[in-house]
Amino acid sequence: MANIENFATPSSAMGALKRPVVTKGWREWVFTVDHKKLGIMYMATAMFFFVVGGLEAVLIRLQLALPNGKILNADLYNQMFTMHATTMVFLFVMPMAAGFANYFIPLQIGARDVAFPRINAFGFWALLFGGLFINLSWFLGGAADGGWFMYAPNSGPIFSPSHGVDFWALGLQIAGIASLTGAINLIVTILNMRAPGMKLMRMPIFTWMILVVQFLLAFAVPVITVALFLLSFQRNFGATFFDVAAGADPLLWQHLFWIFGHPEVYILILPSFGIISEVLPVFSRKPLFGYPFVVFSGAAIGFVGWGVWAHHMFASGLGPVSVAVFSISTMAIAVPTGVKIVNWTLTLWGGKLWFTTAMKFAIGLIVLFTIGGLSGVTHSVAPSDTQQTDTYYIVAHFHYVLFGGAVLGLFSGFYYWWPKMFGKMLNEKLGTWNFWFMVIGMNLTFGPMHILGLQGQPRRMYQWTENRAGEGFFNLAFWNLIASIGSLVLVVGVFLFLVNIFITARSGKVAPLDPWGARSLEWMTSNPPKEHNFDSIPTVHHLDEFFHRKYAEDANGQMQQIATAEEVLKQLEDNADAHIHMPSPSYWPIVIAFGLPVTCLGVIYSIPLAIFGGLIILMGAFGWALEPSTAPDTDFDPPSSSNTSKDVVHVG
Amino acid sequence: MNHIKNASDAASRVNMLTRVIGRLKPVILGTAGTMFLASCATNAPQDTWQPKGPNAQKIDSLQKPVFAVAGIIGLIVAAAVTYSIIKFRDRGQPIPKQSHGNPALEITLTIIPALILAVVGVFTFRTVFDLNKTSDTQMIINVTGQQWWWEYDYPANNEYGITQPIITSGQLVIPVGTKVMLRETSRDVIHSYWIPALNGKRDAVPGRITINRIEADEPGIYAGQCTEFCGLSHANMRMEAVALSKEDFAKWVANQLKPYAAPAEGTLAKEGETVFLNQCTRCHQVNGLTRADGTPVIAAPDENVWSGAVPNLSHLMSRNTFAGAMFDLLTPECRNDVWKSDSASFGAKYLAGVSEPCLNQTDLRGWLRNAPAKKPMYANPAQLAATGGKYRGMPNLGLSESDIEKLVAYLLTLK
Repeated sequence: MANIENFATPSSAMGALKRPVVTKGWREWVFTVDHKKLGIMYMATAMFFFVVGGLEAVLIRLQLALPNGKILNADLYNQMFTMHATTMVFLFVMPMAAGFANYFIPLQIGARDVAFPRINAFGFWALLFGGLFINLSWFLGGAADGGWFMYAPNSGPIFSPSHGVDFWALGLQIAGIASLTGAINLIVTILNMRAPGMKLMRMPIFTWMILVVQFLLAFAVPVITVALFLLSFQRNFGATFFDVAAGADPLLWQHLFWIFGHPEVYILILPSFGIISEVLPVFSRKPLFGYPFVVFSGAAIGFVGWGVWAHHMFASGLGPVSVAVFSISTMAIAVPTGVKIVNWTLTLWGGKLWFTTAMKFAIGLIVLFTIGGLSGVTHSVAPSDTQQTDTYYIVAHFHYVLFGGAVLGLFSGFYYWWPKMFGKMLNEKLGTWNFWFMVIGMNLTFGPMHILGLQGQPRRMYQWTENRAGEGFFNLAFWNLIASIGSLVLVVGVFLFLVNIFITARSGKVAPLDPWGARSLEWMTSNPPKEHNFDSIPTVHHLDEFFHRKYAEDANGQMQQIATAEEVLKQLEDNADAHIHMPSPSYWPIVIAFGLPVTCLGVIYSIPLAIFGGLIILMGAFGWALEPSTAPDTDFDPPSSSNTSKDVVHVG
Repeated sequence: MNHIKNASDAASRVNMLTRVIGRLKPVILGTAGTMFLASCATNAPQDTWQPKGPNAQKIDSLQKPVFAVAGIIGLIVAAAVTYSIIKFRDRGQPIPKQSHGNPALEITLTIIPALILAVVGVFTFRTVFDLNKTSDTQMIINVTGQQWWWEYDYPANNEYGITQPIITSGQLVIPVGTKVMLRETSRDVIHSYWIPALNGKRDAVPGRITINRIEADEPGIYAGQCTEFCGLSHANMRMEAVALSKEDFAKWVANQLKPYAAPAEGTLAKEGETVFLNQCTRCHQVNGLTRADGTPVIAAPDENVWSGAVPNLSHLMSRNTFAGAMFDLLTPECRNDVWKSDSASFGAKYLAGVSEPCLNQTDLRGWLRNAPAKKPMYANPAQLAATGGKYRGMPNLGLSESDIEKLVAYLLTLK
């Protein structure tokens, strides 16, 4: 105890720099280590890149609306589809999920912050700088043009002579550091910082899915890190890892990329599965059907997801044994995925359904993701896949999975948690328009791609020609045009969401404490939560703890309300912990993160600059290690604390 | 009491489900009907659902039932969700019992899809090994990809009268009913050879040889396209497989082996030969072509082009596409005449090659005038630092209009 007390006392003598004590203006955000602020910054960054990636997608669709499109030339088109995928995967869906995780994991498990708040801040800045670094290439001679899969040897210095691929590889390396630190941080947080009584099998399902994702990240990111290092060394320092003339085998890249790339698919989709597994029970007024099945199927996907990577390579000539084995393992992973769909449907079954916008997006996910899942099963059949792979059928498939699945889930999360984050209700009426435009737009855009692909239109073509378009109902010209029109409908849908944010910020309805009749711990806080989240850490007795504090079964087996949300919150306030200690802001996370793009820029252009960047990182690391653990005057006692409650000490 | 209630509940739910499926019958039949129509309509030339040979047929027989089952499962899920939305919407009913699930139902609903997939798995397994069988191969053709065209090399083969290797590009000519093995590789980046009507795709990987088998049932022309992203002109890297009856194939072989016939003195074509010798033979080979002094011309593409190869133009006019099958050598009318002819008359039409009235002058002249303007390539000397000055594609040769006139006349003699 004495030790902890000492630790918590600021020792200004030791610090290289005092810790910032700013609580206002831009510095409040730039130096923050608060998981909620970082979560919001992650989301804002991701939203920005969503718009960027979306505009890239619209350019692609405009180019392909008519035969022999002239809006983009071949070179620019290749950059466009490479950056569209890179942006959407690494700079939109992943950071958006990270934003949700950052904001809601501590709240859902009854903690006051994550385990390593400064590392959390560092992760955000690294992601932001990594994303900006990749996009810097647009202005410095052209972006990467090898596709997001960046197959060797086409990504090598001979076939892609601009610096685009250099920026891409190094920028992803920076973003990868963010993902890795975030993964370790959240794993430690979830495993160690749960409220008393919250056994693993009482954890909210979103927390569970995020936990699985962090393990996937922790093991998958190192693989792509290795691959990117090989690529960077080949391009920047003359190594020959993928140089066929020097005896290399280009399939090495494919294996490395997809051993990362397939778990990555689950990294993208599982957070959204988690979100709708929270949303569906709340708006069905009954618990998630088969919680343990959903948990274990999520974990099963996390394991089997490592044994299916070669299904991306069925056409590459692996030989029949590998192809057959990976075909079967790919079919196997459809089973736990199917379990989830069944459970969501059965959660609705027998419920008392309330169709809020969040609920609409969640139900949209069930149906649209199922389409993507089933088209996935059709190409787990390897011989069938050799007809479909690298055609628009695959583009249709993964957009149903990633847009119909991941993106709809994230939007469900926005509408569900917006009142929690900002204390205001997003406009439900506009939300309905937002939903229908997105769902109709997405089906118009990606639905026809099934036809295009089965009619033999390959992917990654900057133009298509009437010679190969055919006639009749399934002609490519008609369906390409429909897909392009659909993309504009989709743009309207996303635009309506941005309008909704704007309107809500200006004049939105103030959110009641428990607007949805929610079930989990994050709703046992004010809207938005106080900086320390909980006045007292609740003791957990149930899965869906909050619900069970509000409702109980009466003698007839009917659920009856026994307490209001206000009463539940009051109870926590009345038992507030004394002397709550929150992590202090810090200068160093952003400093170290800034050193990374400087170093990488140096790797491309000039080694002295790389050394300078390295020095920034080194200096930042010393500052980080030596700064005092807390700023003075940051301890505080919440109102009505009592002497009996325990000390809570968080150390940055 | 409770037990009975639950049991009757379950029974009524089963009934409900049966009714739902009953109502969906027309939808299911409708989908099946659409699928059937899809296989009959006149579709795009690269339609993956219209097999024209046994390999593609095996894939098709495997995939169509999978599509059907997937479609039905999708409809069941959509129906269950729709039903729940309508049936269980909030009508002021009390908060439902907080039931956490039903393990027996869960396990059943896990085992059923697992069983369906197991059945699919068994057939997949069989088909994978079936398609990889090579022991009964009747003919081997080497297929080499490079940016952005395909080269075919027919090794000598007495059975088919191929007494010397034949090298051609763009259009792969095969005899019908023959099990042809393609040995694929690449000279630069990864490409993928795909003729959807004959088989699935197989990557051509530099430093490796991959095997694919094709066989066509009927004479005809089958469109295909490179399907592994291979850089700037990936979209323009096309090809066709041309299947000829055995007799017609023998004629084709004989024509390919026909010795070089120089144009008659004093013709425009003869002047074209001189232009060709001066401008084109640095890279393009025409077998049997000799200089004025009688020495044979050996092209040296490896000195000028990064991949080290360019299309061999011997018998160019026996093909009907050029520049990586991006352009037709035939005018649209003549092309339609060949492409849309029935299998009985196809062979003769194809073997007729390109005659002057049928020649697509626009694209051929445009190509000779400024190739990089017609097809994106790395042909600007300012962009060639990475390849040590070697081209990836054909540069603009700056030919005069009269040179182009002569060259076209000459190329027309390469039948």
